[in-house]
Amino acid sequence: MERVETGIAELDEMLRGGFLPQTANMVEGAPGTGKTTLGMQFIYNGIVKYDEPGLILTFEEFPQQYYRDAASFGWDFRALERADRLRVIMTSPEVSRVDLETVGGTIESAVHDMGARRILVDSLSHFERLTEDPIELRSIQYSFINALKREGLTAMLTKESEAILGEVYSDESVAFVADSYLLLRYVEIESAIHKALLVLKLRGSDHAKDIRQFQVTEKGIRLQARFEGQEGLMSGSPHRSMADSFVEAFVRK
Amino acid sequence: MDERVQIPLPCLSSSWLRTERLRTQKEVGHLAMSEDFTSKLMNDMDPALLDFIKTKVNSFIKWDLIRFFYENPHTADTAQNVARYTGRHVDAIEPELEGLVKDNVMQEHKIDGTTIYSLVPDEETRSLVEQFVLACEDRHFRVKAVYHIIKNMR
Repeated sequence: MERVETGIAELDEMLRGGFLPQTANMVEGAPGTGKTTLGMQFIYNGIVKYDEPGLILTFEEFPQQYYRDAASFGWDFRALERADRLRVIMTSPEVSRVDLETVGGTIESAVHDMGARRILVDSLSHFERLTEDPIELRSIQYSFINALKREGLTAMLTKESEAILGEVYSDESVAFVADSYLLLRYVEIESAIHKALLVLKLRGSDHAKDIRQFQVTEKGIRLQARFEGQEGLMSGSPHRSMADSFVEAFVRK
Repeated sequence: MDERVQIPLPCLSSSWLRTERLRTQKEVGHLAMSEDFTSKLMNDMDPALLDFIKTKVNSFIKWDLIRFFYENPHTADTAQNVARYTGRHVDAIEPELEGLVKDNVMQEHKIDGTTIYSLVPDEETRSLVEQFVLACEDRHFRVKAVYHIIKNMR
């Protein structure tokens, strides 16, 4: 089966090779967990490793901020723009929504002009300001995602979690619209904050179910080993598994 | 007794008047020379950039907008949102965006009745925008640009 690789080896392994082509892939996490970095890496690797030009659609951060952040990982986004391999488009959800419905809109033109294959939408949460009606919101998001697929794009869409630590309640309607769902979480273990990644859903494919630690390094996101001997990780405050507690209490002494 | 202070009147002799006239002519001449010198000094830049400033930038809001669209070159949005991004009021931004559209620095297109503004894709204009923004990093150039904008606003 054809896959769209993220270029992050361990994540592709978890996704059994990568995302499926022309799908909408949601990344949800609290501020600072690394959603945008993961998205930028997906776009950058697409251009550099797989010859797939990309778009970044931003609704809040200025493109300038992306150039700066990318540069800190050694990714020259300005040069990629000059080479017409990348476009960082700043607009608003209301404009992009109508733009995609229109023949010859900015996004459609960008796809045709530069042959874009990937898109990062940062973030889908901004569509919430278009309506207070959850049914209408789901319809808007569904239509927006379908328009991206129509253009042949494999999309990574970020979504903000309100809670930084602790139990997080996700908007289920978005989970239904997306083809895959990745969760990024802060986890507190022994008075230190770690970051965790979980592939919650991957429509039409098997995927790894383990919760992996990850770090934002100077070269981007790097996945590490799974958390061992911990339970309740996604709640933000895990505890030792019963077996580990038994070993700790009786065996290691 | 009249205690008012007597202020001596200047002597309005013909020789005094002649001297005064000569002095005024000299001062006006100096002023003209000084204005000419300032103008020469302020015009001392790449002619293409000078023309760009005089005919297209010509206001501080346009300067801000040009800088914003240079730094965020693929922005496409409404005047309302551009105003939000640049921290100004839409009433101040809209006519300036219109002016830049008229001068072919920006372009507008209608989507569903809404006007969307973006930088023109034309390479030559984008290159001129880039030259202008990069030149503005030099303090001397900025002073000259400010001079022309203020002169234009008067």
